[in-house]
Amino acid sequence: MNQDMNQEMRPKVLITKIGFDGHDRGSRVVAAALRDAGMEVIYTPPWQEIAAVVKLATEEDVDVIGISSLATDHLIVPKLVVALRDAGLDDTAVIVGGIVPDEDEQMLLDAGVSRVFHPGSPLQDIAQYILNITPAIRARRAAV
Amino acid sequence: MNKPLDPSLLDTRDPEQLWQRQYAQEIGRDRAISNRSGIPIQPLYTAHDFDPAARAGDLGLPGQPPYTRGIYATMHRGRTWTQRQLIGLGTPADYNERLLALLAQGTTAVSLIPCNSVFRGYDMDESHFELLGTCGAVINTAEHMDRALAGVDLARTSCAMNDPSPFTLLAFLLATARKRGVNWSAISGTSNQSDYLSHYVANHMFFRIALPGVRRILGDHIEFCNREVPRWNPMSVVGQHMQQAGATPAEAVAFTLASAIQNAEDCIARGMDPDQFLPRFTFFFDVSVSFFEEVAKFRAARRIWARVTRERLGAKDPRSCRFKFHAQTSGVDLTRQQPLNNIARVTVQAMAGIFGGLQSLHTDAYDEALSCPSEFGARIAVATQNILREEAHLTDVIDPLGGSFYVEKLTDQMQAEIERVMKIVDDAGGMYEAVESGLVQRMIGESALRFQQAVDCGEQTVVGVNAYQVDEDPRARPINTRPDPEAMRAHLADFARFKSQRSQADVARALGELARAANDPNDNIFGRVVQAAEAGCTHGEICATLRRELGFGHVQAIV
Amino acid sequence: MSRTDTAPTALLPRLLAGDRAAIARVISVLEQGAPGTAELTAGIRPHLGHAHVIGITGAPGAGKSTLIHALLGELLARGRRIGVVAVDPSSPITGGAVLGDRVRMGEHGAHPNVFIRSVASRGHMGGLSRSTGQIVDVLDAAGFDTVIVETVGAGQSEVEIMRIADTRVVACPPGLGDDVQAIKAGILEIADLLVVTKADLPGAEATARELKDMLQLRRPAAWTVPVLRTVGTKGEGVAALVDQADAHCKATGKAKRLAARPATAAETSSDALVKRLAAADPFVRSLGIACVDAGPGRARVTLTLREEHLNFNGSCHGGVIFSLADTAFGLAANSRKHIAAGIDAHITYHVAAKGGETLTATAEEVSRSRKLAVYRVEVRRGDGQIVSGFTGTVYISTATHA
Repeated sequence: MNQDMNQEMRPKVLITKIGFDGHDRGSRVVAAALRDAGMEVIYTPPWQEIAAVVKLATEEDVDVIGISSLATDHLIVPKLVVALRDAGLDDTAVIVGGIVPDEDEQMLLDAGVSRVFHPGSPLQDIAQYILNITPAIRARRAAV
Repeated sequence: MNKPLDPSLLDTRDPEQLWQRQYAQEIGRDRAISNRSGIPIQPLYTAHDFDPAARAGDLGLPGQPPYTRGIYATMHRGRTWTQRQLIGLGTPADYNERLLALLAQGTTAVSLIPCNSVFRGYDMDESHFELLGTCGAVINTAEHMDRALAGVDLARTSCAMNDPSPFTLLAFLLATARKRGVNWSAISGTSNQSDYLSHYVANHMFFRIALPGVRRILGDHIEFCNREVPRWNPMSVVGQHMQQAGATPAEAVAFTLASAIQNAEDCIARGMDPDQFLPRFTFFFDVSVSFFEEVAKFRAARRIWARVTRERLGAKDPRSCRFKFHAQTSGVDLTRQQPLNNIARVTVQAMAGIFGGLQSLHTDAYDEALSCPSEFGARIAVATQNILREEAHLTDVIDPLGGSFYVEKLTDQMQAEIERVMKIVDDAGGMYEAVESGLVQRMIGESALRFQQAVDCGEQTVVGVNAYQVDEDPRARPINTRPDPEAMRAHLADFARFKSQRSQADVARALGELARAANDPNDNIFGRVVQAAEAGCTHGEICATLRRELGFGHVQAIV
Repeated sequence: MSRTDTAPTALLPRLLAGDRAAIARVISVLEQGAPGTAELTAGIRPHLGHAHVIGITGAPGAGKSTLIHALLGELLARGRRIGVVAVDPSSPITGGAVLGDRVRMGEHGAHPNVFIRSVASRGHMGGLSRSTGQIVDVLDAAGFDTVIVETVGAGQSEVEIMRIADTRVVACPPGLGDDVQAIKAGILEIADLLVVTKADLPGAEATARELKDMLQLRRPAAWTVPVLRTVGTKGEGVAALVDQADAHCKATGKAKRLAARPATAAETSSDALVKRLAAADPFVRSLGIACVDAGPGRARVTLTLREEHLNFNGSCHGGVIFSLADTAFGLAANSRKHIAAGIDAHITYHVAAKGGETLTATAEEVSRSRKLAVYRVEVRRGDGQIVSGFTGTVYISTATHA
């Protein structure tokens, strides 16, 4: 990790919040941790419109989108996944962190979310997960 | 592994020295401990750490400056703290049902949390349907407020509205009072969390309109309320958001007092008299599970505020110098793992707040970390307060920890740390400047990261998360309560009907006045908000008008 | 976007048509030196020259973000399509970055006529201006009217980046004062437009005068550099800034920028090849060596020294320095088609290097025949002091790289 990583292989991650909640302590701490793990992080304020997130993910060609959700904003993450697919971003992974009731976790995974991180997840685990999935994402994009 | 005691070392006549040596011998490897504010904690405190005779002036007595031991002579023994539980869910009717149940169980005041869509400044027909009413009541008009507070005697019940600038919920409440024939001079309560600075910094939930605009609206709001709703507390300076965002307890107090000073100075600049508005300033704080630290934090805050109001803000009336606060038990200490443990945590937090001398308390439900709290959890939270008061008799003695060597020393140290951070803000040009430049956000971010790292590496234990974990049966977790979609659809339909039937002329005129007021420094924006509420304007329309005139509230993204 | 649409041959026409996803994907391919780099670079070349490229920089605190936000608003109001390259030169300690510039452009980021791409400077160093130039070219070819390159600072790397622009704008806050004299890196010297930001603050007048005085010392040229004043929060002075930028472009044109493009197809493919080889070298990766820049017969690599690189004296182990120099040597020798193997190497150590320092090894080709080539490598510390000199010879085989 860190210095050993080639510049080109550093994951590019978007950390953002959609919906209405504005508590962003968790997303800020995760963004800082991913930066310290050697990744390139784009961090936005809360209340991003889904269309704006798709535009950003398109232009910056991010590998992973991390959605921080407290309240119940995770309920509209499936809408985001659909919007990403419609825009052709099939390979961009979406992970969700925050308070997600157990009965909703499977719903999110079925909707295309790669992984849900609950409160108490060590920052290291989140970073390692992203490092693990990025090479496959890049490989799929480069395939012809 | 105990070495045999070396008798020569124990040869001393000084009992304290004897204890120190015995301690050093027996403890083996001792570890350095600091509390969350970074203050080192000793294993023992003695008269060397605090001499009551020498410090009588700083300690004082309850109801007398510097108020270290409490702002009233009687404190909870005379009047118990207000049990004010925050609730909000679904339609106005859903809210009303839960409210009446809570009042029957012993809460003594109303606190209303609106839906997140309302927090963002939107009406229900402008928002994602899935998210309506999941975390707060969907109230967009005066009529909705009337329904939400059905059966509540407004002249006798204190109401806290959790609604940021431009405070439409209070406007709806006032419209409801007028409709019911209740005089505004009888209305009591608080514009809870009206402190725009804390919203800009930490709880972005509440930030709708551009920074200079909300600064102006708050001034208008304070002026209007002091004049027209004299028993209302329009200024609730918030420490909770910053502590929840990761500020240490000392930082949270420092930034909050700095915000209070900023808001007070803004009022003075408008020509208001400190003794007129300061008595209606209240504070809203988080109380964490770091028990003694929290008690010391509040005692130190009282002492500092007593001096600041007199020396810096020019207050002459002793009532202007009292640090009145509502405490909410800290949600960030609660865990999703083994949620019933949260009941124990909330109990400790509540005790810390009570010993800290709060005026009003909200206790979290144990399932706070899982979803919006259930009725079952909310009931236990209220019972907790009743048990502490009536079974543990925590109200029988005023400031019972006063005089403790530890607590007094810690109060001094917390005061020093708070004042150190307050100076940083002063050097940056005051709280408004410090916040605009991002300084406060960066400091809080660093504290948050440090705490998370301490948890991740095991230095700070969180039971069930990084220690004492068990395999849990997810089915044991309570089911999430969501509002009934049918009821919400009916609410939407009703809303559409309301909009089509009201007087469009009245609405247009009221919004026009509001827009003009936004550009006229001599007009009172909040006064126009109240008029708009009475004319049938919706929350979203009022917010949209002010956003257009004063600018949309963007927060900085600072990592 | 289906799989076959992402082939370089398919990406190019979509890029030229202004397809957002294609633009982003092409930029990624070039940034990573992925397969297709050479074809895309060549394919873009004939389509350059439409965009007006504006470089904007200024020291931290100069109010640059607010200025750019207002600038975007003004350009959008004039109906322009704008591409933005936001260079974030954050601290090089961990290798990661938070790319924050984009977010400071606020709501304009969501406007359909705006395309923003963020670049982290870390690991690029000398190669940063090349990568940024590549991105600018992609946006130019995609048909944007204006391309803004935004970076922060007033140092050498910012001067390099600004060279890829047609019009260079430097933002100075009021009270720059003594700093005007102190900035020797040349950022003020190459500016085409100087802007005093936050002009409503005291000291703005004095700063404008200082800048004008400094301009007197320049050689007279066809273009007179204006000193403008803006208040970004109110949008004041921004219309004049756009007018002046347009005037500059009209007066001086884009030929200089286009001619200065160093990347020939051979250059770009060498760079891509060398980076690929470095990435595939387990020893290079285990030491933590980064390849920052390469071309035909040359390579530059860096290493930030950690504890495990040190000897019993607390200085950098000679073997580490040798490995660094040898890496540059091997990459430079293999930057062309044929596989080359080292047969002889010598090193001289001049001064010690300490933990935490970043060493750079630069290899240059001294001579090359069909079978043999000789390279000279210099290893320098961050302050420019030479640490070591190295000479190596390779045998060039007939086998070629994959």
